[in-house]
Amino acid sequence: MTVSSLIYGLCAVTSAVCAGLLLAAYRLEWYRLLLWSGLCFVGLAANNVILLLDKVVLPDVDLSALRLFVALIAMSILLFGLIWDTES
Amino acid sequence: MTNNLSAVLSGAVAMASFATTLFFAKFWRQTSDVFFLLFALAFAIDTVSRVALGLTETSYELEPAFYVLRLAMFALIIVAITLKNRSR
Repeated sequence: MTVSSLIYGLCAVTSAVCAGLLLAAYRLEWYRLLLWSGLCFVGLAANNVILLLDKVVLPDVDLSALRLFVALIAMSILLFGLIWDTES
Repeated sequence: MTNNLSAVLSGAVAMASFATTLFFAKFWRQTSDVFFLLFALAFAIDTVSRVALGLTETSYELEPAFYVLRLAMFALIIVAITLKNRSR
């Protein structure tokens, strides 16, 4: 395993852990910002899994537009929550 | 075409990440809660890594270094949630 594939793999794992922790915290607290953040990190985890596919598993196929689109959806969900659903 | 699309998407994600940084910085200023400061720092790191990636020509030697920054972002989020869970 190369260093780069290890880094891509760790990005996918840690972002999935972030998503899990945030959604678990939301189930305890029902604080809506945790939900928006959790959903954002679900998308970022998907982005990082596609990154891993793009760079390591399928290096001949360019998935950059797809993974950036997924990242944009993820960030838009969080921005929507921050703008629409938080006070002050 | 794919390169142009990727460039637009990459810039949009970086901007969304920057806006998210500002929201969390504002929440930190309002509440003095370290949780929000760590989130702001995480998204600031993400913004820097996405701008740097967007400005760099694809090169397999250099690219993983930017993803180390992304890894630091996810680590900060995990630290923030763990600290919050501990303080409860």
